[in-house]
Amino acid sequence: MEERETEGVQEYSINLGGGLRASEPGGSLVDGGDVNSEVTSGWRLALRSFAENKLALIGLGILIFFILFCYVGPHLYYSNQLSGNVLNSDLPPGAGHPLGTDNNGYDELGRLMVGGQAALEIGFFAAIIATVLGSLYGAISGLVGGVLDGVMMRVVDVILSIPYLLIVLIVATKYSGTVLSLSLILGLFSWLVPARLIRGEVLSLRVRDFVSAARVMGSGRTRLIFRHLLPNALSVVIVNITFQVADAIIAIALLGFLGFGLQYPHVDWGDMLSTANTALGNGYWWLVYPVGISLILVVMACNFIGNALRDSVDVRLRRR
Amino acid sequence: MAGYLLRRFVTSVVVIIGISMVAFAMLHLISSSPGRAVLGLHASPKAVAAFNKANGYDDPIVIQYWHYFLQLLQGNLGYSYKLNQPVTSVLGENVLRSLYLSGVSLVLAITIAIPLGIYQAVKRNRLGDYVVTSGAFTLYSMPSFFLGLLLIQAFALSLKLFPPEASQSVSVIGVIEDPRAMFLPILNLVAIQVAGYSQYMRSSALDGLGQDYIRLARAKGLSQRAVLSGHLLRNSVLPMITLIGLSVPALLAGNLLIETLFNYPGLGLMFFNALQNEDYPILLSYTLIAGVLTVAGNFIADVAITIADPRVRLS
Amino acid sequence: MTRILDIQNLSTHIELSHSVVQAVGDVSLHIGAGETLGLVGESGCGKSITGLSIMGLLPPGGKVVEGSIKLEGRELIGMPESEMRKIRGNDIAMIFQDSSSSLNPTKTIGDQVAEPVRLHRGGSKKEAVDRAIEVLELVGVPRAKERLADYPHQLSGGLRQRVMIAIALTCDPKVLIADEPTTALDVTIQAQILMLLDGLKDRFGMSILLITHDMGVVAGRADRVNVMYAGRMVEATDTKEIFSHMRHPYTQGLLASIPRMDQDNSRTLFSIPGIPPDLTSPPQGCRFAPRCGFVQADCRLNEPHLSGDDSHVAACFHPVTDGLLRPEMMVSVSHGRVLKEENTSEIPLLEIKDLVKTFPVTSGAILRRKVGKVHAVSGVSLTVRSGEIFGLVGESGCGKSTLGRMIVGLERPDSGEVLLEGEDVFSLRRRELARKRRDLQMMFQDPYGSLDPRMRVAAILKEPLSIQGMDSRKEQEARSLELMREVGLPSKALERFPHEFSGGQRQRIGLARALTLSPKLIVADEPVSALDVSIRSQVLNLMKRLQVSHDMAYLVISHDLAVVKYLADRIGVMYLGKLVEVALGEDLYAHPAHPYTQGLINTIPLPDPDIERNKDKDVISGELPSPIRPPSGCRFRTRCPRAQDICAQEEPQLKDFGRLHQAACHFPLIDPLEGVGVSLKKSAM
Repeated sequence: MEERETEGVQEYSINLGGGLRASEPGGSLVDGGDVNSEVTSGWRLALRSFAENKLALIGLGILIFFILFCYVGPHLYYSNQLSGNVLNSDLPPGAGHPLGTDNNGYDELGRLMVGGQAALEIGFFAAIIATVLGSLYGAISGLVGGVLDGVMMRVVDVILSIPYLLIVLIVATKYSGTVLSLSLILGLFSWLVPARLIRGEVLSLRVRDFVSAARVMGSGRTRLIFRHLLPNALSVVIVNITFQVADAIIAIALLGFLGFGLQYPHVDWGDMLSTANTALGNGYWWLVYPVGISLILVVMACNFIGNALRDSVDVRLRRR
Repeated sequence: MAGYLLRRFVTSVVVIIGISMVAFAMLHLISSSPGRAVLGLHASPKAVAAFNKANGYDDPIVIQYWHYFLQLLQGNLGYSYKLNQPVTSVLGENVLRSLYLSGVSLVLAITIAIPLGIYQAVKRNRLGDYVVTSGAFTLYSMPSFFLGLLLIQAFALSLKLFPPEASQSVSVIGVIEDPRAMFLPILNLVAIQVAGYSQYMRSSALDGLGQDYIRLARAKGLSQRAVLSGHLLRNSVLPMITLIGLSVPALLAGNLLIETLFNYPGLGLMFFNALQNEDYPILLSYTLIAGVLTVAGNFIADVAITIADPRVRLS
Repeated sequence: MTRILDIQNLSTHIELSHSVVQAVGDVSLHIGAGETLGLVGESGCGKSITGLSIMGLLPPGGKVVEGSIKLEGRELIGMPESEMRKIRGNDIAMIFQDSSSSLNPTKTIGDQVAEPVRLHRGGSKKEAVDRAIEVLELVGVPRAKERLADYPHQLSGGLRQRVMIAIALTCDPKVLIADEPTTALDVTIQAQILMLLDGLKDRFGMSILLITHDMGVVAGRADRVNVMYAGRMVEATDTKEIFSHMRHPYTQGLLASIPRMDQDNSRTLFSIPGIPPDLTSPPQGCRFAPRCGFVQADCRLNEPHLSGDDSHVAACFHPVTDGLLRPEMMVSVSHGRVLKEENTSEIPLLEIKDLVKTFPVTSGAILRRKVGKVHAVSGVSLTVRSGEIFGLVGESGCGKSTLGRMIVGLERPDSGEVLLEGEDVFSLRRRELARKRRDLQMMFQDPYGSLDPRMRVAAILKEPLSIQGMDSRKEQEARSLELMREVGLPSKALERFPHEFSGGQRQRIGLARALTLSPKLIVADEPVSALDVSIRSQVLNLMKRLQVSHDMAYLVISHDLAVVKYLADRIGVMYLGKLVEVALGEDLYAHPAHPYTQGLINTIPLPDPDIERNKDKDVISGELPSPIRPPSGCRFRTRCPRAQDICAQEEPQLKDFGRLHQAACHFPLIDPLEGVGVSLKKSAM
């Protein structure tokens, strides 16, 4: 053992703020600079950036309005949506029927509420199914890697090469009709994009230094996945859900328009538009515009929210 | 480079085989007993079984797929019992009519979207950008048929400038010679495509404008126009090529809705009618074709990128 | 001297969505004809924004709010864009830091170089191409004519930087603004490019505004130096004067914060405490006051303006007069176990034997065949004793980081052993390996990527303990508090998320995390290369102090020989996957045996004008060969001035050159010890 110089080490008396003047023993050694007083988590930063986004707030407002309109509305405004009165068909808006009636004599305003319920529910369920399936699939593929990853991704390639709308329509000819079946059909064929997204995210996270750091500490695979990879991939998943809702609502509208939506007594906005072309020809505008505009507003609201979420997640990443 | 393209080609073929498996599996799952579908609900189980046996529908599934696959290789897409003719002959001129509609609208959409996206990027967060972005966003949030409804209301019913129905001409030449009737369907398709492409082009161009080589180009003293056309354009369009290759499924879906709405006899309308008839051989053949087109679109985009990007070409 | 470029009271602001960065405030500077002005400062001080303001190329949101910029008497501020375009690239040209992103990837070199000629000089395409060939030859692009059709990605980094310089020179500019022209390059290439710039200046007599963070780079070539801090000009004078008789405490602190190869590393480095102010809301009074050792009440109230005579101005109420702070004036610090005698019986803490790592290069149409390998590490052996700091130095691509990652088990070697206290790490079973990891921790280069953005600092510091199943929650908390204090951060930092810290603070947290398990060895991969000078010395001192107080060993990996020299007891030099020389720091600097080591020492710019200007200008020529096909025999032979036939045929083995001094060279610069046959194994201990 050789001699070891220890002067300057005792009592930490080196002033790191400059080697010139030794500081008082026990004095403050906080020389790394201060940190500002407010604690901001990544989520809170994201939330703040989201709240500053006017379009996002408008989108949120629109969405809340339609949720109230569709679910609370029918309790305040009663209309019979189970049996139509053919004598009252195609009435223009007026007393008793603020938005008129359709060709079966159903009250259009009440129908808008009920149809909206279906659209929102299908959109939401389909998005959840797609995102959960896709996230699991993508995460497994990215985490396991190797041959399994190759095979799993070729499967995604194959299914992604088949146009979504065509395959959904074909399945819908057999199995459509209820909110559940349509949610399943849409969800089961739209998990591919989230699967790719999550896989990409997992792959890029896997080689980040903080994951290497955890490995150096001796962290096992399970911990890496649940403590580091998945929480960090979560923001991508959340952003994805909002876009999936928007896409699913459009898809269900397309299905309804082509006549493969819900079946009696259920109805959604797409179904209500299936006669739109004829209605326009007859000048029954109230059967087209209220539904169409509601549809656009809801989809737009979801897209606004999705964009704002994506940006606010980016804000967090930029300040990383 | 040649190696890269060859590898991409082989992957494409593998994916196409995969698509044929999926198409076959779906055909089998949804309509496992064509005999019942052909002979109707009142046919005796015996007759159905006999029909299935005669046509090989009771073979093991792998054998059935093998036969299906061999038929595909010979260009035989199957037989529509509902229409009583081979699927290939049903496709017939529908292919050309759809090709015309999609092709014209795609080319127009790209020619509009690229300069529009660059314009937006240059005018970022100014009035012009906001106007275009809002428009694109609205279109993007709209089911494509709803735009069609609006166009029909405005241009056909109110202004009576164009007919509400597309050209019904049987031959493609007839369709081309009737641009008035094709105006609304093409406008509809162009608008929804421009909405998507221009926003992508905008972000690609914004990305490009932030690059160091744009700063160096400006430091040389180049004018804005020279910077944009000489340095930005090519680099920003490269990612667009991939996007266009990827957008074949959306193009086909658009065709389906627009052809249905405007009653234009193309592949989309054929598909819609087959849906109504539950004519699965046609539906799945078309799905298969669509899948192959998608794969081909991606492959062509890869080839185009390889030619246009020296980093890929010379690596 | 006539002022070619004259900037008065320039203020440039950058508008962000919620705030305004006052990037440059009230800055004046001037450059005379044929003069080189060094504009130095740390990142964010406004030096680059000043350069871009001159060019009128501010980033989005950037705006000159005040002041004047005159080029030969013509005012550039407010000049119409069409006029300004005639000046850019013609009268004033600019070269940027990163040549890989500054050249257009889809245009050929020829087009890019010829473009400004056609623009400003007119003439035919042929004439422009001829001019392009001429300038490309001028900047030392070999076989320039054949290169015209090449694209940027086909050239090496050094060549690309030459091409960028060629673009700037095509129209014989009066002023050349060089913004960190060599920062992205390896030292040997940096030396070549700096020599090129010096030569060009002598030939063409243009004025150069050299913007850099590197005091060594200005020392060698600038006529005058202007120092910026937090958007302000704090001092301006002749180069010699600023290095010997600086007046501003910041200049003094900055110069003393730079580790120098020629100094005694047992003395601490000076460091400026704290971090620069946020320029969206700069403090009242002197912007340096919060970090200044000479601060008085008036500094916090009023802002000092530049004062002094024409030849030397400084913005300080209480200027310093004691000149450069020499390390002899600093407190001394132990630097671990100085190896006074060989102790061969001791088992080394870490022993690496013949470590080899290759990465496959694949190609092929269908089945990806292995067509070659990148030889990242090719048979490296070394030892680290407990309590020792071993420095590993080399240029990018030499395999030093791969070696570090193999030591901590992030990469598996193709062959060879990593022995930790005599036990082979890679033959351990999973559980034993996990336990062994307590002794072996790592510090990462990127302060942004190495901390999980979703975890609070407290959780980050507890994680190693939780993984290892050590200590109760309470003990873990106490440990975190202790660690925070040790790395000089306030305890309230524990509640915060990584994004709330500056780069230097994050490196401190990274160091605290590595310390949590009280390891015997920390592998630090470029621990300070992402940090500014004043922050860098803080972290270096901290690392050094903690090494002593925790009695541990470091393996420090860096491209910067000066940093390694300051930290390390022994230094190993790597070149293209091989360890070419290993010696005690002092020996390595004083008597290098390997020509590559000598070349490295020569090429690193020293922050001392006297030394730098009289330095031997022999730089290492050429560029790093491809690691896929490394040269036969000695891998350095393609760039070695002493290379002979045998170097290509026979690979030199490590030979002893003195105590703990080995090098692998057939024609070393100093004589090897007698009895060359000393076995490798023994001497490696």
